Amino acid sequence: MSILQDIKNVVRSRSIHVAYVDVGSCNGCDIEVLACLAPRYDIEQYGIYVHNNPREADVLLVIGSVTPQWVDKLRAIWDKIPEPKVAVAIGNCPISGCVYNRRGTLTSPPAEKYIPIAAQVPGCPPRPTEILNAILSVAPLIFKDYEEKQS
Amino acid sequence: MKKTVDVSIPLGPVHPCWKEPVRLKCETAGERVLRTELELGYMKKGIERIMRGRPWQEVMFLAERVCGICSVVHNMVFIETMEELSEIAVPPRAAYLRVVANEIDRIASHLIANFSYCYTIEHETLAMYLLNTRETVLDNLERLTGSRINTAYMIPGGVRFDILPEDAATVLADLVKVEEEMKRYVRMFETGPLIALRSRGIGVMSREEAIRSHTVGPTARASGVPECDLRLRHPTYQALDFEQITRTEGDNFARIMVRFQEIFQSIDLVRKCLDTLPDGPIRGGGHCKAGEAAYSGEAPRGELTYYIKTDEYGRVVDIAIRTPSIMNIEACAHSMIKGATSVADVTSTFISSDPCVACNER
Amino acid sequence: MRSFIYYIREFLRPEWLKNFFFAKTAPLVTPSYFKDYPTLTDKECTGCFKCMMICPAPGGIEVLRRKDQWVPEIYPGHCIRCGLCVEACEEGVLTSGRILDITRRDRTAFRSWYHLEVDDALCMRCGNCCVSCPINKQEDPQLGSSGTSSSDEVIMRIEGGRVRILHEEKCTGCKTCETHCPNGAIRVARMVEGVHEEVEA
Repeated sequence: MSILQDIKNVVRSRSIHVAYVDVGSCNGCDIEVLACLAPRYDIEQYGIYVHNNPREADVLLVIGSVTPQWVDKLRAIWDKIPEPKVAVAIGNCPISGCVYNRRGTLTSPPAEKYIPIAAQVPGCPPRPTEILNAILSVAPLIFKDYEEKQS
Repeated sequence: MKKTVDVSIPLGPVHPCWKEPVRLKCETAGERVLRTELELGYMKKGIERIMRGRPWQEVMFLAERVCGICSVVHNMVFIETMEELSEIAVPPRAAYLRVVANEIDRIASHLIANFSYCYTIEHETLAMYLLNTRETVLDNLERLTGSRINTAYMIPGGVRFDILPEDAATVLADLVKVEEEMKRYVRMFETGPLIALRSRGIGVMSREEAIRSHTVGPTARASGVPECDLRLRHPTYQALDFEQITRTEGDNFARIMVRFQEIFQSIDLVRKCLDTLPDGPIRGGGHCKAGEAAYSGEAPRGELTYYIKTDEYGRVVDIAIRTPSIMNIEACAHSMIKGATSVADVTSTFISSDPCVACNER
Repeated sequence: MRSFIYYIREFLRPEWLKNFFFAKTAPLVTPSYFKDYPTLTDKECTGCFKCMMICPAPGGIEVLRRKDQWVPEIYPGHCIRCGLCVEACEEGVLTSGRILDITRRDRTAFRSWYHLEVDDALCMRCGNCCVSCPINKQEDPQLGSSGTSSSDEVIMRIEGGRVRILHEEKCTGCKTCETHCPNGAIRVARMVEGVHEEVEA
């Protein structure tokens, strides 16, 4: 059991698949996540692979204040991600609604109402280094010894 | 005999190629795409509703957050509308600094558009090169305004920060580097045979179709629509001898090449601005009054119009925003993708029109 | 075939080879000119609330009373790092990036003032606005519960059955009256103007 767990720990620490879902942001955080791919930040040197497929993801980046269209769909996407999984809120929008959380708005933040959020990266938008640090620091906390913690 | 099956393929809202949620429904016969339907509305936040009854210092930030990729131009067009309706004059130095910020932002926006296209046709090498160049460009925007995206640089009657002389020198030096890099990448793009296979002659939109569907911006200029760049009518750009870039092919390749050429043009404009930067104050003062105005400016994706009505204390009573992407992606769905011979071309054609869903739905 | 030659030539450039084998991620430092969350300097806050009034984000900054002293507090998760509060503060209590240095050098500032207007058709003469106003309470502790006052120093008071605004210039733009008005009759307009004082030759 423990040897298997050790192997899993090693594998998981070097292979983190990230999916991002935009639930109504201004696009700023979106392209900051994309900027993490750039050779300057080089997210793939840490074994993090960014693509947009929830079915094979480990980390879900939630971007944006939740619009009415996404209220039910966000939960559906979260359910599609296989265990172990973790959701990170990027930017102010999923934390507080940013400037959209005002009289007359159509959005209904925060995102925590719909799915469990493990970490928050405040900023409007956060710098790519902040996003990178958040993913790198939250992933081992969740993925290390996941099966032992479950049992 | 090969049997073909007619299916309806939904693409999105969460799709590896889409950076933002949008849904395309393609009706296909075999590999041929017969009809495409566009489903929008995943990002409707009601920004125009929030803006009503607020003074400029709050609306400015909401206008900027209509679109995060081209935030500087949203800021600029909103502020210039407010200036027009309350008759505020801009000092010449501030007008030039605005152009500098706007053009640097345009370079970054075109780079991310071309990055997405190269990423979609799986030419990751060029995509990563472009993304790295974008970082250099954004460094300069940060040096000028203090942040990478959502800069909040312009205010009625001027800009917020002056450019330091040593920063201006760094910006110019960086732009030389960017220009050299870009020349290499454009040669790569133009001569790469694999890129030509996936770009030339695909997603063709004729000039008549472009005019009929009210296409704007680089998408229209790639189809050869004349006089469709609103920078031709902007007084500061007129002083800088701005000329429009037009191509006639109207395919994916032309759209990307128009953006590449506009990057070089923007670099020239920034250089010209910084060389002939007039002295003087950067803020002229003046407060917003009652009025009603519609004003258009050229965003990286095309014509952007703000209609604003204010009350006597400068609060926005009524506002309507018309963003460029809505025409472009409708034209893309109905003229470019229709008749595509392969489903694999749908995503790349859609991305080549540079869709910005956050702009569309606000 | 041409493409093979092209890519081989591309990948054999010494620059590319050097990058491929020896490149390391540049040290990821935040540049000094980045507008980060505003931090406090050693200057003393006077409690003029100008930063709070200009803040475009809901709940981004609050000026709190702590042990006989006003302290502005920034809330990450709400603050959008625009830096308007740094520019609006006349005392230079907050700093962020190099905004403070640049504004000091260029002598740029924001001038703000507030305008109160009462819609007589909607106003019910309840006096909630006069009672709730924190400045009114400071100026005249004996303010009547219906909003009447004998002092001439208050911002507004009920006079002859209607609200009369006496000292608009004392308003700090907090909009407490607006939120306490049951009918939405009183409106506070926050007006801001960016100014640049020319350096005298």
